[in-house]
Amino acid sequence: MSSDLNIVALVSIGQHPKSGRARRAEQDARAVELGLRLAGERVQVLHAGDAADESLRQYAGMGLKSLRILQQSADADAVVALGDYLNEHRPDVVLTGVRAESGESSGMAPYLLAEKLGWPLVTRIADIVSIENGEAQILQALPRGQRRAIQVRLPFVASVDMAATAGRQSAYGPGRRAQLEAMPWVETADSERTQWQHAPARKRPKRLKKVKATTAAERFKAATAKSQGTGGRIIKDQPAVEQAQAIFDLLLEEGVIR
Amino acid sequence: MSDLIRRDPRAEWIARNRLHPLHAAMTAATGEVRGPSGLLRKNPHGVGFIGPNGIKRIDRLGGSVAAVGGRRGAAKAAQVVELPLHVVDAPDFYVVTVLDIVGGRLGSHDKDVLGQAHKLIRDSEGSGAVLAVVFGESKEEGFGLAGVDRLLQLDGSEYEGYSPEQRLAALVEVERNFAPRYWLFPDSINGGNELGCRLAARLGERPATQAWQVDTQQTLCRGAGGRTDITRATPRLLLLAEECAEPVDEARHEARVLEPCSVAQSLVRIQDRGQVAVDPNAIPLAEAEFILSAGNGIRDWDQFHQAAELLGATEGASRVVVDDGFMPRPRQVGASGTWVTARVYLAVGISGAIQHMQGIGQCDKVVAINLDAGCDMVKRADLSVIGDSHAVLQHLIELAQDYRLGAAENAA
Amino acid sequence: MILDWLLPVLISAALALALAGAFKRASLWRAGQPESVNLLAGLMAMPRRYLVDLHHVVERDKYMSNTHVATAGGFVLSMLLIILVHLFGLESRWLAWALLASSVLMFTGAVFVFKRRLNPPSRLSKGPWMRLPKSLLMFSVSFFILTLPAAGILPDAFGGWVLALVLLVGVAWGLSELVFGMTWGGPMKHAFAGALHLAFHRRPERFNGGRSTGLKPVDLQARVLGVEKPTDFKWNQLLGFDACVQCGKCEAVCPAYAAGQPLNPKKLIQDMVIGLAGGTDAKFAGSPYPGVELGHAVGGPGQTITEGLVNSDTLWSCTTCRACVEECPMMIEHVDAIVDMRRFLTMEKGNTPNKGAEILENLIATDNPNGFDPAGRMNWAADQNLPLMADVKQAEVLFWVSDGAFDMRSQRILRAFVKVLKAAGVDFAVLGDEERDSGDVARRLGDDATFQSLAKRNIAVLSKYRFKRIVTTDPHAFHVLKNEYGDFYPNGKGGDYEVLHHTTFINELVQQGRLQLDAFKGGTVTYHDPCYLGRYNGEYDSPRDLLKALGIELAEMERSGFRSRCCGGGGGAPITDIPGERRIADMRMEDARAVGAELVAVGCQQCTAMLEGVVEPRPVIKDIVELVSEALIERAPAPKAARVAEVMS
Repeated sequence: MSSDLNIVALVSIGQHPKSGRARRAEQDARAVELGLRLAGERVQVLHAGDAADESLRQYAGMGLKSLRILQQSADADAVVALGDYLNEHRPDVVLTGVRAESGESSGMAPYLLAEKLGWPLVTRIADIVSIENGEAQILQALPRGQRRAIQVRLPFVASVDMAATAGRQSAYGPGRRAQLEAMPWVETADSERTQWQHAPARKRPKRLKKVKATTAAERFKAATAKSQGTGGRIIKDQPAVEQAQAIFDLLLEEGVIR
Repeated sequence: MSDLIRRDPRAEWIARNRLHPLHAAMTAATGEVRGPSGLLRKNPHGVGFIGPNGIKRIDRLGGSVAAVGGRRGAAKAAQVVELPLHVVDAPDFYVVTVLDIVGGRLGSHDKDVLGQAHKLIRDSEGSGAVLAVVFGESKEEGFGLAGVDRLLQLDGSEYEGYSPEQRLAALVEVERNFAPRYWLFPDSINGGNELGCRLAARLGERPATQAWQVDTQQTLCRGAGGRTDITRATPRLLLLAEECAEPVDEARHEARVLEPCSVAQSLVRIQDRGQVAVDPNAIPLAEAEFILSAGNGIRDWDQFHQAAELLGATEGASRVVVDDGFMPRPRQVGASGTWVTARVYLAVGISGAIQHMQGIGQCDKVVAINLDAGCDMVKRADLSVIGDSHAVLQHLIELAQDYRLGAAENAA
Repeated sequence: MILDWLLPVLISAALALALAGAFKRASLWRAGQPESVNLLAGLMAMPRRYLVDLHHVVERDKYMSNTHVATAGGFVLSMLLIILVHLFGLESRWLAWALLASSVLMFTGAVFVFKRRLNPPSRLSKGPWMRLPKSLLMFSVSFFILTLPAAGILPDAFGGWVLALVLLVGVAWGLSELVFGMTWGGPMKHAFAGALHLAFHRRPERFNGGRSTGLKPVDLQARVLGVEKPTDFKWNQLLGFDACVQCGKCEAVCPAYAAGQPLNPKKLIQDMVIGLAGGTDAKFAGSPYPGVELGHAVGGPGQTITEGLVNSDTLWSCTTCRACVEECPMMIEHVDAIVDMRRFLTMEKGNTPNKGAEILENLIATDNPNGFDPAGRMNWAADQNLPLMADVKQAEVLFWVSDGAFDMRSQRILRAFVKVLKAAGVDFAVLGDEERDSGDVARRLGDDATFQSLAKRNIAVLSKYRFKRIVTTDPHAFHVLKNEYGDFYPNGKGGDYEVLHHTTFINELVQQGRLQLDAFKGGTVTYHDPCYLGRYNGEYDSPRDLLKALGIELAEMERSGFRSRCCGGGGGAPITDIPGERRIADMRMEDARAVGAELVAVGCQQCTAMLEGVVEPRPVIKDIVELVSEALIERAPAPKAARVAEVMS
């Protein structure tokens, strides 16, 4: 892999799903991890936001000498700032997470950046296998652990899926010593977002099975039917052949035998 | 209701009891009866049945006779309700839905999105039509029932595989031709999210993502990775969460197929090199669809590995087995190992410690092979086989081999 | 005669060489990090520490104790007298006779050392140590014979030149092994380094019957966190490593070694010696780390320890059970050293194996190791109606629930304890969601930053409320709260409260007659001492008293009390999960089966989890508080009713 690759990993402030505490975002950490594996310490990690945020140190603890921060308030539009910066520096590869863990978390950032830079965007990648002669071989993550091979020319933007190698452990010492290079940056207010109302997520009601009955008997049956959650079938005292057949039938029915 | 032939003990009893008043009527031969001379005989009295008010009825359609003969299920199957057809001839506006069509069929998420589309039309003035854009080939015939008024099927070779740029170009064309009032996408990992975001970025729209309560005024969508609800004005482009609206079920729609608009071939910058064959054991345990999991009851490990390979299952293990060194630590399923989400979890010789049961909480179907019928795993399982795991696995291996052989022959 | 002038020369040369060696050795120790020690007071206290505290440990092995007293005492006495008689030439019959006596004493001891070495147990190092008894015999015999003329038993010129030559060789051998070998790295190094180690010990509190088990905090502003190179140890830690006698007592009790994990405490300490002096382990003559070949470890004072000298798996195998420290006759602190090196791996390298990284990340983000919602900490007690500190502000007893709150098995223990507390009418409260993980696991995994953060926040919460005692069912939290939080209190001393383990507290309640207990009905019971309760805090009696109060006649396991074998659950060992040949919990269960136990009583939820992880059939595992709550005779709520009546009248 060519060593003069210019790779930028974009990171955001994550949020733990249970405690809501700020942390390094899992997907962004994977993006940094991928960058570290491709370019070693030369990977540039970029954040648009507040340089004073302590969770940035968790990225730094992955072994980064420095982090570049486009200094702006936390609710300013990060995409504009990042787009301007990337347009100016034009790296070879831009890695992002798929969706942020905090804020709007719409997952639009990579799309907007790719659109702005005019670069192809590869979504949900699991790995970059190689980058040679200006072409990258990429593995894209599909549901249920499947993978698709993709080839794309540099430069490109890629969003890193949870299926990628998890971010390495963040070490406290290097994280504390890393340099956070804050660059003052023009702030673009996100005016639309200020009109939105945020509230803690409400529990969504489980969809009930609606019964459209045309006759009284059907309505009666629907109302009195036993719930589905009965105990499972138990096959006992039968020859193993039949038992195996029963299992195999279920596997076929579920479509897991291919 | 299935078409199973069900026994009717009462009818059988009457058939045996020649003194029963209904004997003659019930035993009327349904099939052909040949007389002593070999001629085909028909019993005119055997036709029909006595109705509730004592009058003989002859059903020349043949539908309800079956009810007496024991085939009760068929009566229901006959009643297919013809829903009223909803026709929009000259729509004032369009709501475009871009459907995932996983495996060539409408999924529940697709149907929810279509339901949402109609909800938006109902709430708006004027008559709108739902235009469904479908990429690639589809085997679906129920577009009309799901609420598709217009169907735009784009199945050229340029749309095959992973072709987001070409698809985006087509959607831009749709935007130009139809100027839809709303763009609706399923916010799914099957492509809906990606296309929606790409189009939003191209059109400069700010989409609502993970929207789960949408009307023409307001949209409620999840933010912060699902931790917050954002209330905002409904944008033109929406990425809808699952179960955002009830699917359409009260009308048929015509699903009129539109002539595909010509789309310029876009420059292919992202080349699809095809799906990569993934070794089931290379799939992360947490993502695996089908797990064959080994517990303390396994003695023959070669057999277990062979079974996993033939069934195409990802291997899992209980803690004890991992502790004993038969399986590597990353294979451990459970609270202290990996929390799995498999659709089918086949547990062999695992009695089910509490930590293990916690780890398989999200599995759809659990199958247990165990010697102890009283263990927790059997209580949890949808199908349990009580017996020697070695023998059952052996037969499963044979079945899988036969199946694979049969599949190969069919293909040949 | 030739010896008349050669002997003083030899002796003074040996002494000079020893002195030079001492300076050289001291310079190796001084390469370590500074640590302030009261040198003078240490030196003054040294004889007592040696004769009392150390002897106390050695005396567990009577044979070795007596042997050592004779040999070492004989040698020290002889050496002093040799200097007087043979170097300064003091002509005194009395002195000569005394010297004869002391060399006989030394000879007797050496004979026993020799006997021990005829068929040495595997824990003992061989190599130069096999030579030692011969050197001792040679020394004592040579000087015995040489002193005979001075004592007037033999004429001055006896024997002739052949004997003189033989004696000369003997003296030279003896002196080189026992005098300057002491400072140049021979087996006798232990005497020199050991004496100074006792004087400048990093935990002087351990002497005079005291106890010091809490880990020392890391200065988070330091250049490097934890120990990367041997020189990153404190100087007196390096000195401590040099004190090792390679007796292998630690090896014999180490649960990880027994389980075939790649750890041998003795080898680890010897590797540290290699590290501080430079070299390889090719000459190490003891048992290697299980599964690791000898001869490949290379190290030096300035080299990263985990790159070549010690494999990091060795460090992560330790359960921090302190069995080695407890057994060590030289009072070496193995666990401190291991955790120091782990700190480097975690806080500088980000290299905590297996689930370690995940657990630490969870601790940082959710204050509990498994990443549960911190707002769900009290879910287990939804039906218990526990008073919250935030509501009541003060209580007699603060019940520290610990992370067992998230574990379904541990919740049974917690419920049992609540039942007991209520039955005894204890005025108690819990912190609820304000409580956090005590930080034990984070600290043992080397993440002192996370530990300190948890500790400081816990202390801030504790400081808000008034209570006299903290009681907890988790010995790990107990240890940390009692022994390790003090460093982080603003006053540097600790909170104004007492920390108790629940067995201690319940025992107190029983002694006070506040609990009525039925007799235990069941089979043979044994008790497993949790390391963090026993060895770390010296609480061996309360659990046993409590079991006795239940009418249980304990079938003690061979390894119990301060020699209890770890369950394998401490020090984050289940998290780092270094593979071995056996599981520690299985070995412990074998101990229990060996005494025919049908029930193993424990006092720790970690032990419960580990021992219950043993495949059935096996003895039942129960926490003592579960036994107590089952045996509880619930009194009619008469006193309370009476009080109500009084108020009403």
